[in-house]
Amino acid sequence: MPRAIRGVLIQCEPAIKSIIVHLDSVNNDIIIEDLDEQTLVVKENMVQLLKQKLEDRLKETYRPEEPLADSD
Amino acid sequence: MSLGGQQLLEYLEKLPGTAFRRLYQSPATALAIFRRMLSYHAKVIVRGLLYMPDPFPLTSLDIWFPPEGGGKIHRDRTIAALRSLHILQVSPPSKDRTQEIQITTSFKKGLQLAFEGGGEDGSFGVPSSLPVDPSIDIAYLDKYARKKWDDILHYVVNSLGVHGSSEGVSGPKASVKELLLAGRLVERRPDTRTGIGITQAGFTFLLQESNAQVWTLLLLWLEAADHAADSGMDSIDMLSFLFMLSSLELGTAYDTSALTETRRNMLPSLVDFGLIYFPRDTRQFFPTRLATTLTSTASALRTVSSAFTAATANPSGEPGTTTSTSGGPAATPDKTQTAAKGIIIETNYRIYAYTTSPLQIAVLALFCQLNMRFPNMVSGRLTRDSIRQAIGFGITADQIISYLHAHAHQQMVREATVTGKPVLPPTVVDQIRLWQLENERMQTTAGFLFKDFESTEEYAALSRYAEEIGVLVWKNDKRQLFFASKHEQLRDYLKSRKKGE
Amino acid sequence: MPPKRKAVGAPQAGVAKAGRTSALSTPGPATPRSLESSFQSDGDDDLNDDDVDETIKRKEEVIAREADEFVNTWAVDSSRFQSRQDGGGSHRDGATQFFGSGKRDFSYLNLKPDHDQKPLWIDPEKGTIILEKFSPDADRVTDFLVTIAEPKSRPHFLHEYQLTAHSLYAGVSIGLQSKDIIDTLDRFLKTPLPESIRLFIESCTKSYGKVKLVLNNNKYFVESSDAELLQKLLRDEVIGKWRVQGSGDITTSYAPTMGGLVIPGTKDAAGVNQADLNKSGNKKTAEDGTAGAAATNEADLYAAINEEDDEDDKDAVHAFEIPETAVEIVQRRCLDLGFPILEEYDFRNDSNNADLEIDLRPNTQIRPYQEQSLSKMFGNGRAKSGIIVLPCGAGKTLVGITAACTIKKGVIVLCTSSMSVVQWRQEFLKWSNINPDDIAVFTAESKNKFSGNTGIIVTTYSMVTNNRERSHDSKKMMDFLKSREWGLMLLDEVHVVPADVFRRVISSIKSHSKLGLTATLLREDDKISHLNFLIGPKLYEANWMELSEKGHIAKVQCAEVWCPMPTEFYDEYLRANSRMKRTLYAMNPRKFQACQYLINYHEARGDKIIVFSDELYSLKQYALKLNKVFIYGGTGQAERMQVLENFQHNPQVNTLFLSKIGDTSLDLPEATCLIQISSHFGSRRQEAQRLGRILRAKRRNDVGFNAFFYSLVSKDTQEMYYSSKRQAFLVDQGYAFKVITQLANIENTPDLAFATAQERRELLQRTLVDNEKGAEDDVETDDLFGKVGRGRGGGAKGRAAAVRRMAGTLGELSGGQDMAYIEQNKAANKGLKKKGAAKAEQSAFFKKLQREKERSRALARQG
Repeated sequence: MPRAIRGVLIQCEPAIKSIIVHLDSVNNDIIIEDLDEQTLVVKENMVQLLKQKLEDRLKETYRPEEPLADSD
Repeated sequence: MSLGGQQLLEYLEKLPGTAFRRLYQSPATALAIFRRMLSYHAKVIVRGLLYMPDPFPLTSLDIWFPPEGGGKIHRDRTIAALRSLHILQVSPPSKDRTQEIQITTSFKKGLQLAFEGGGEDGSFGVPSSLPVDPSIDIAYLDKYARKKWDDILHYVVNSLGVHGSSEGVSGPKASVKELLLAGRLVERRPDTRTGIGITQAGFTFLLQESNAQVWTLLLLWLEAADHAADSGMDSIDMLSFLFMLSSLELGTAYDTSALTETRRNMLPSLVDFGLIYFPRDTRQFFPTRLATTLTSTASALRTVSSAFTAATANPSGEPGTTTSTSGGPAATPDKTQTAAKGIIIETNYRIYAYTTSPLQIAVLALFCQLNMRFPNMVSGRLTRDSIRQAIGFGITADQIISYLHAHAHQQMVREATVTGKPVLPPTVVDQIRLWQLENERMQTTAGFLFKDFESTEEYAALSRYAEEIGVLVWKNDKRQLFFASKHEQLRDYLKSRKKGE
Repeated sequence: MPPKRKAVGAPQAGVAKAGRTSALSTPGPATPRSLESSFQSDGDDDLNDDDVDETIKRKEEVIAREADEFVNTWAVDSSRFQSRQDGGGSHRDGATQFFGSGKRDFSYLNLKPDHDQKPLWIDPEKGTIILEKFSPDADRVTDFLVTIAEPKSRPHFLHEYQLTAHSLYAGVSIGLQSKDIIDTLDRFLKTPLPESIRLFIESCTKSYGKVKLVLNNNKYFVESSDAELLQKLLRDEVIGKWRVQGSGDITTSYAPTMGGLVIPGTKDAAGVNQADLNKSGNKKTAEDGTAGAAATNEADLYAAINEEDDEDDKDAVHAFEIPETAVEIVQRRCLDLGFPILEEYDFRNDSNNADLEIDLRPNTQIRPYQEQSLSKMFGNGRAKSGIIVLPCGAGKTLVGITAACTIKKGVIVLCTSSMSVVQWRQEFLKWSNINPDDIAVFTAESKNKFSGNTGIIVTTYSMVTNNRERSHDSKKMMDFLKSREWGLMLLDEVHVVPADVFRRVISSIKSHSKLGLTATLLREDDKISHLNFLIGPKLYEANWMELSEKGHIAKVQCAEVWCPMPTEFYDEYLRANSRMKRTLYAMNPRKFQACQYLINYHEARGDKIIVFSDELYSLKQYALKLNKVFIYGGTGQAERMQVLENFQHNPQVNTLFLSKIGDTSLDLPEATCLIQISSHFGSRRQEAQRLGRILRAKRRNDVGFNAFFYSLVSKDTQEMYYSSKRQAFLVDQGYAFKVITQLANIENTPDLAFATAQERRELLQRTLVDNEKGAEDDVETDDLFGKVGRGRGGGAKGRAAAVRRMAGTLGELSGGQDMAYIEQNKAANKGLKKKGAAKAEQSAFFKKLQREKERSRALARQG
């Protein structure tokens, strides 16, 4: 019998996948199966955390909003 | 056809034939639909066939649809539209007979009565014979209607101030709130100060012209009536009444006693919506501009703010109200009414909106970081965070862009005309879209990964089956892996396949 | 600031060393340096002053503290100016909350009945002014606003200015009165002038510019048109005792006016006998008539306002004399009393310093904005110190030269590099009739004095601020510079130079007036206010878009090209330390391809292209792979000249790769396209400077001509963040950066580099290997005061590396060898061998280039 493993399929750009793989490399607790450059399956309970971490990671690539010069 | 008409059309098209037969019993409804819901060609066909005793060969219509105008496709589309409103009947295609068309009996009767000015009493309303309070003039009604409608829109943008009613913005009646919640224009959000947040549908609603907004709300109301069977409300009769209201005269008092009891029961809700004004202790009601323009196509009614400026424009030219809804004394001279309106968006993402309307400001606050407010202008900036916040509400980049476009300040429009460049700075438009894309960088689908197949055949069969039943999300034939959104049926299939072996 | 009188102790090597150690361990808390606290991208202006004599250092700290105090006293939103209008709260409504929780809702202001005709709003709390650029009055009002407020945002339709204490100070210093400012603002506002703003303007202008320090016949006078104020100062316990006795308590004379002073190169200059100029101050001239060089716009603007003042146009001024030794004390005391002293130089009456024979060449005509900026400097016939801000390519040098031709006294010009020293001298010879013997340069290579009794010295900041290991010649030269009184000190590129360096310059060299020149009065360290304190107020700031629309500078299309990183690169990027990250996003093969594509495209269009990279490794890799010429800090002077020559004149050489040594002062009017592959973190200034490289494009006035500016950024890396931060200044000037996510048909580029996965992997491996061993290879700080690699969270190791690099910067400062320091640095790091290899490689490349050139020439002959 084949196996059916519960999880969440993530389809994304290669860069995003790289970040996920990188995040996983710390504790190996995120990825279930690495499918290809743009696809992987991760643990369902890690999705929220993953999204958060991804956002944190990507934050450094955006300009933080400078407060309006003339506001508080 | 107005945007509101489009929504109404969609609603009507879902109604059963019996509903139409009832609707068309009212000449006012038949006339309203004829006037406002039909394309030019559809009207030509209806007029042509209205007094024709016998069915008419379909092919004879072709003279109205020359090939250069789209020909047959256009004809078929027009006929389909007429059929969907149960105005036209078409005989089924057959080999022996040519197809024939005719106006449905009910519509024919209704429209004929309307044209001839006959029909049941009160189809077009009965003006009140009682003395009318002279203070209730058009200006009064406009102010009244706008206040009512502003309250509703304010509620939708979640812009009620901390001091709520003390600032003159009281918010709509509870029943209206329920309706907005039920229609998912707003949703309960514990994270906001008022506990209510706007939804994507709500933002779409705000972006509509006011006429379309009114219809959106009315249709929600009709749907709610349909769902609550015990309410004693009959959505077809309600609809019919709305068509009647749209045919009434602004500024005229009508007699409530000429209405059926069910219709009289509708009046309080219509008051809440601002469609009618109902003076206490009288047997009179006044339709407001919101009601009388229901089936109008007046394109002047464009946007949230200008709609209200237009809806309340004082025809007499005397100093009217300011666009501020604050209860306090008007802080701005009435000149602002004539001053240029609109939004300027600069290439450095700064936004300047020439507006005094708290409502429009609240709409801007959905996607702008506002900074300063002057008596006739507010300034702010589009930022990644402000756009992402809007996108979080379900507002799309395109909605924001079209809003900015629709409200562009005349200086921007003029500049674009002179230089032949787009009205909005292309870099800003791109950036708004890019900010939206940032949000869509990872697509997640919950489900099951199928792996470790015993044979290529087993993989092929199961993945094929998954595809057939529409649960296959992703597969890789080479690695013999696939991902499916559900697994129960696949398990059963696999079991039965094993048995079959 | 007055010249410092205290002799600076001759620095000894031992002292310098000790100074450094202590400075490293305990940085002076009072020094407003942002060395540690600032974000890495913001620190590029800090000067490492570890080797400075402790006394100087303490002195500088005092000046720094003073500057800070000075700034803070006049903070715009200081509570003393806030007076919320009564009843403001009653106008609250549902939308109020969106404006800073109601604090920024000024809808309570009343609109004037004719507000439609008025172009301005002002925020009563912070003094932000918004201008409708489409108003018929916009041009006139713009001139006024530039004079009294800081431009913040100047795109197309609405501009924003900020009223600050400094900007008002500048306005006052060029002759505006409180009343002029208040009335003019009020006249153009849509609402009545808020009381808070009126108070702010009054309290700033009341004290600003009221007291002037005038050096006249080598005597210092404290001057004011307010006799009472002078009496008050005399009564002050500190100032009073410094009055020179016997010179009469207070002398009264007439306020200076433009009085026949004609700025050369202006329309008024035509027909004026220049020889008469020096005496014209004494001549009776129709003052109202010839004051035309002052901006006529302003003249009309204030005409109506000043009508009643016309009769007593000649204001009386009062003055008392103080000794030279008391200048600094009096100046500080006045600051404490809230009357910052303004310096003016009555050069026409300075008979003590020899006149310099200099004038603009007869056919030289300066542009209107140059004239306008100078008229601010010479508005009342005296020279005021201050800063003029003009975009690159808009002719800053000519402004400086014209100022020198107006003052006609000894001039000292301070530049950022020896390259620009040469250029400044050439420009002087080109535009003016100065005798070549009267203009000398003081650099590491050349230490000449001028032949006559006065003249011009062109030098670098580092030459005059360096404090140790001076050669005998240098020391002699410095003594010469210090011993003289200069009529004008021209400070080039003031935005690049750390405030501490100015302090050192100003405390060692005496000048009567100072003119700072810059393209962007923009410092990531926010020390602009210190410049105001040290040099003077900003006298003028040009509008980039306007100059570009009028054809004075080129129109530029800006684009940011997003280059995704191939997975293997990105994986490596995620793991890398911050320095390697920089290398990796520069070496991104997709970026390389984009660069190749753009070079092909623009070369085919006939453009001359400059490619900028701050990252030396990638600079070389790109240039070599694409077979293009390049210049970086390590390129020798002769080779540099050869490359530049070729880029300018050889039709075969259309693309030049430059490290950041090309950021400033490199004049290449042939360049029409700029590609940036790596840059210095988030420096808005560098971005503006680089854009400046193509603003003077020769072809700018061709019909439909556009220059191009591309920033290539690796997607999903920190570079994206830096890139948008860098653009902020230009975006506020009205430039729009188009994001390009896909270059059309890039895959069809012939010989596209790194097209296969195999090649990309090899590139990655090579990049990793090369950069692991040569970590110091990237150090390039020949942008005089630049420093690299202060990564945040770099750990102990990172910090150690940073220290080493600072030492490199120091070496350069002390040696005063602008471009050659990198070798020293390498030597210190045993990098010589590698350096030699690079050199060999390079000359081989040039040989090859030469061979190719010959071959094609031979071919041409045959054909």
